[in-house]
Amino acid sequence: MSADFRTCPTTGLKVHAQADRLIKANAVVGVVALLIGGIAALLLLLTRWQVVHLLPADWFYRLLTVHGMNMLIFFILFFEMAILYFASAVLLNSRVAAPRLAWFSFWLMVAGALVVEWTMFTGRADVLFTSYVPLRATPWFYLGVILFAVGALLVVAIFFATLIVAKKERTYTGSIPLVTFGAATAAIIAVITLGHGAAIYIPTFLWSLGIGNVDAQIYRLVWWGLGHSSQQINVAAMVAVWYLLGALTVGSVVINEKISRIAFTLYVLFISMAAAHHLLVDPGLPPTWKVWNTSYAMYLAVLASMIHGFTVPAGIELGQRLRGYTKGLFEWLRRAPWGDPGFSALIFSIIIFGFVGGITGVTFGTEQINIIAHNTLRVPGHFHATVVAGTTLAFMGLTYYVIPLIFRKKVAFWPLARIQPYLFAAGMLIFSVAMTFAGTFGVPRRHYDISFAQAPFDFQFSPAVDLVMTAMAIGGLLAITGGAIYIAITVWSVFFGKPLEAEVKA
Amino acid sequence: MHTGIQSPQGVWWKPVRGGEKLWVGIAFAWCLVLFAMMPLWHLRGGQNPSGIRSKVDPQAFMARTQEFIRTYQVGTENGIPVVEPPPGSDIYLMGMMWSWQPVLRLRKGAQYTLHLSSFDVNHGFSLLPFNINFQVVPGYDYGLRITPTEAGDFRIVCNEFCGIGHHLMIGRVIVVDESEPAAAGASSGAAIGGGNL
Amino acid sequence: MAKEGLPPGIVNPPRPLPEKAGESPEEHRTPGTLVLVLVFLAAFVVYYFVNWKLLSFVWRVG
Ligand code: HEM
Ligand SMILES: [Cu+2]
Repeated sequence: MSADFRTCPTTGLKVHAQADRLIKANAVVGVVALLIGGIAALLLLLTRWQVVHLLPADWFYRLLTVHGMNMLIFFILFFEMAILYFASAVLLNSRVAAPRLAWFSFWLMVAGALVVEWTMFTGRADVLFTSYVPLRATPWFYLGVILFAVGALLVVAIFFATLIVAKKERTYTGSIPLVTFGAATAAIIAVITLGHGAAIYIPTFLWSLGIGNVDAQIYRLVWWGLGHSSQQINVAAMVAVWYLLGALTVGSVVINEKISRIAFTLYVLFISMAAAHHLLVDPGLPPTWKVWNTSYAMYLAVLASMIHGFTVPAGIELGQRLRGYTKGLFEWLRRAPWGDPGFSALIFSIIIFGFVGGITGVTFGTEQINIIAHNTLRVPGHFHATVVAGTTLAFMGLTYYVIPLIFRKKVAFWPLARIQPYLFAAGMLIFSVAMTFAGTFGVPRRHYDISFAQAPFDFQFSPAVDLVMTAMAIGGLLAITGGAIYIAITVWSVFFGKPLEAEVKA
Repeated sequence: MHTGIQSPQGVWWKPVRGGEKLWVGIAFAWCLVLFAMMPLWHLRGGQNPSGIRSKVDPQAFMARTQEFIRTYQVGTENGIPVVEPPPGSDIYLMGMMWSWQPVLRLRKGAQYTLHLSSFDVNHGFSLLPFNINFQVVPGYDYGLRITPTEAGDFRIVCNEFCGIGHHLMIGRVIVVDESEPAAAGASSGAAIGGGNL
Repeated sequence: MAKEGLPPGIVNPPRPLPEKAGESPEEHRTPGTLVLVLVFLAAFVVYYFVNWKLLSFVWRVG
């Protein structure tokens, strides 16, 4: 068994060969999904920018489906699978519990994703990633999603099994590290999420075959139980990566284990199970239900994020102060390693997630305020700040450490890597803020033509809208440039990169 | 102290201190404010998504809408009937691929109960340029008591994806100000395109 | 300092701290972060109430 381990020269951790390989495979497939979703993003952006208005209508909606599925589902989840293996096997010096099953799940997820790609690109599933019934896709689409979800659920099971194995085999002493704890909360939420997924996709699959019926409102209710809690997975995973990057880049400390762990636990306990804030202006639900289920009277999931928003920077600050950066209020921040893409990505992720994504999300998620936000561009403005500038950027920053630590390669195009987080963050900031403004004027999301050229009635948005849509295009193009650089660096490093020196075998 | 990737040894359940304690307190207080605003607005505010909610068969809703159109129709525009219901009445707006039926002529300051539903798939009611948005779900009747507070010529854009013609789905609401009788006559003629009457 | 192709956190990893460091009240201070989160809260409060104000301008509906 022990021959299957290597000792990491940087961290001293013992890494299981299977963990290495599983992390690599999942990360590589994740980046491929990011590439497909990114190409779709470029084409969508150039279509919504009415000056170019690139695509025909059918391809706009088709690629919108492609973008949503590849980004929000495939890229994010494959990457999170890699993080689960890292946070369990690697951080705990343990073997992966069931490597054969792990590979089976990986291929199941790949197969599911390929089926979905095929249905989308052949125009058999022009239903967007929410696939609200009674819009109907081919049964293969729902089947592909189910296969993918089953694979993901198995990986989550392997994660928990690995935690048990590590405990039994005493591969670590004390409690599990905070990062592993955070990943574990993400995994628990994943179980809840995938439960909702089964509850909605199986009946919908049957319905697409002509068996039974699915109520449109119940669909939205249960679907968002999947769609919303999956965002909570992303948040929990992102926060775990914040602590991880803080530790790797500046040796940030955990201010108080208790508070950080309670905050993670709040995510599990107070994800709005029924995802009420997506249904605030829906006809099928009473106001008491809406108010209660968005907030549970105390907004404790919001509280959790506000706590992490303190403890992560405070951990960096204290870590830096203890290493001698004690002058004034901000020497610790000024003298931080801004040229380390892991660090800059971490800071921008925290700032944009909190200041743009967090504030807008909680505000629009208020029952009545949702009336002036629902289904406008304010919504994609909000979530590109959370899941893109927040989660995706944090994952990008982590990649610059995964390439040397796991792939054992040098990061290619290093000068570009140093500026990549700046480009991506600046682009996403402009892009999401501009979308939020456009939405304030009522510009709809998921809409092919806001000039209403062929529509029976004309409508002219305020001239300010032209301006913000141009800002959105500029920000989006910047971000896409940053994203393209990221993909080029990753692919080049992984496949053609310079290997690091051979290391000590355990 | 240790980092987040190291296993804490011994007891880590320790009291919270200083700035962190302060922040958790402030943040929690703010969360309570966030909650309190919602019930408060139900009591004091003028915009709530409560409505009168019921289930309705799409066919039945279609029949009600047609009955409503027959009763109050005053014209046609682009093939879509124009109706002018009396203040205080129940009014119907149906989303279908890819139009809003009918065109509504309302009075400023009067209250109506607007029944929203869909004949086929989900649609999104978005009243522009006000930016008032509601989800329109087939099988459900959303009865919203609305009071137009401004006269003018408004649009209803669909903001929920409903198929390939989604972006062509645009409806119209005209609000006239009856307190200005002269202007009202003129604007009503112009607003529904005169000759169609 | 930074070797080409490797993040500084790997070439020159942050110095580990003794477990006792930062435990005493004089050391356990994070004033900079407190300022930052208070700025955040101020932005939050402003945006939140501006939106209530925007809402109050639209038609009465209920
Ligand atoms: C380079 C950066 C990106 C750009 C320029 C971009 C651009 C866009 C655009 C233009 C839309 C369509 C908005 C609409 O018409 O409603 C969109 C939608 C969306 N994007 Fe992105 N995007 C980017 C990255 C991402 C990433 C990394 C994710 C997820 C991890 C993501 C998730 C989504 C989702 C879930 C939607 C909604 C799809 C729907 O409404 O069905 N995007 N994006
Ligand atoms: Cu539509």
